[in-house]
Amino acid sequence: MIKTTVVERVLRKELIKANTVINDEVFDYLKRYNGPFCSALKENVVVSKQNLIPLCQDTGMLEFFVFLGHKVALEEPVETILTRAVKETYVANCFRTSVVDDPIFQRKNTLDNTPAVVHVFHTQGNQMTVKFLVKGGGSENLTRLFMLSPTATVQEISDLVVKVVSTEGRKACPPLNVGIGLGGTADKALLLSRLALTKSFSERNSRHCYARLEEELLRRINELHLGYQGLGCGLSAYSVHIEFFPTHIATLPVAISFDCYLSRRGVVEFVDNGSYDG
Amino acid sequence: MMGEEFTYSGAMIVMRDAAQKRLFESSDSGSVTELVLKDEIVFYAGPIITEKRVIIGPTTSARMDKYLGELYERGVIATVGKGPRTAPAVEVCRRYRRPYLVAPSGVAAFLSTKIERIELIAYPDLGPEAVYRIFVRDFPLLVAVDKFGNNIFERWEKR
Repeated sequence: MIKTTVVERVLRKELIKANTVINDEVFDYLKRYNGPFCSALKENVVVSKQNLIPLCQDTGMLEFFVFLGHKVALEEPVETILTRAVKETYVANCFRTSVVDDPIFQRKNTLDNTPAVVHVFHTQGNQMTVKFLVKGGGSENLTRLFMLSPTATVQEISDLVVKVVSTEGRKACPPLNVGIGLGGTADKALLLSRLALTKSFSERNSRHCYARLEEELLRRINELHLGYQGLGCGLSAYSVHIEFFPTHIATLPVAISFDCYLSRRGVVEFVDNGSYDG
Repeated sequence: MMGEEFTYSGAMIVMRDAAQKRLFESSDSGSVTELVLKDEIVFYAGPIITEKRVIIGPTTSARMDKYLGELYERGVIATVGKGPRTAPAVEVCRRYRRPYLVAPSGVAAFLSTKIERIELIAYPDLGPEAVYRIFVRDFPLLVAVDKFGNNIFERWEKR
């Protein structure tokens, strides 16, 4: 059994780290950036880490992707454990509570940043891998879903992605991390586009034709010269990741998700050693 | 002038989506119709307030473009946020001769070192979306749209 206390302890630590310690790949970029507000960006990394205060005031609505092995036993539903980890971390560390209870009527702040969004994928084995994204509202608002005709060409898909970034990308705090979900059903495509955001910038799709499309899109997006906050200096995007899934003969879902320049994310692995006494 | 970076020391009114919606759209906005915005700078942001610090940074300004004219009607002299504004909002800036400024986004830890104090002004029930007055020192800003309507984001779009 994987004990609740263990999952909570590790998750609390990882959530604090994702919010206060800059992602290494982003840090490499910031060191070279010399456009508008460059000293603020560099000093932010130091102030945040030294004082364990968030890099950005928008500490996100948490999204978890749990890969739950079929031999794993838990003391409680994983969603319950993760929600409690978020609540405790955000309240104890004074991270901003950015979640409202209903989207259109009261919009009353829940004051503990819960609920989190939890997706569970059932896998083989005795491991539980928890990936998460700490994504702010600004980048989330740029998410798009297109149901294209199945006869749409790769060029048309590429043009569509570039158009979304070119018209709206400046609002999502570039340099962006771009996640694209192709195929499946509408909801599957969206989910794939989020999973794409959990990858490291240097990772490429294992299927050569998709890897080439990722590179082609990254090149085109960077030719837009969005730069930090859209101010025109530096990269438009760090990376483009594509995830695909088989789809219906009549459909071609294309989902696009974005992460902001901080690309705050984490991954944690737990193993169930079969013991029940912990 | 457009593109100019500078630092600001003084007061700003912090007000974002929910507060502006209540102020400008609600029929019973009550005491806050008295909220005086004359000669104020409005900063689109939702702070985290702890005992030691105010952790704050700009949010996406374009979401609040529909209220921009109302702000200027009430005497606001400038707005501060992040990212581009819609073309109608840039036109509002030009018409009222008011600049739109951007602050560095995603650097709230750094900006927390530039905040001297904060006061709650209205709508405490909105939590981080309540209306506050903050006092800042050496707060970094950049002129994104100047009072003539020159727009730094458009400069790049045309390229």
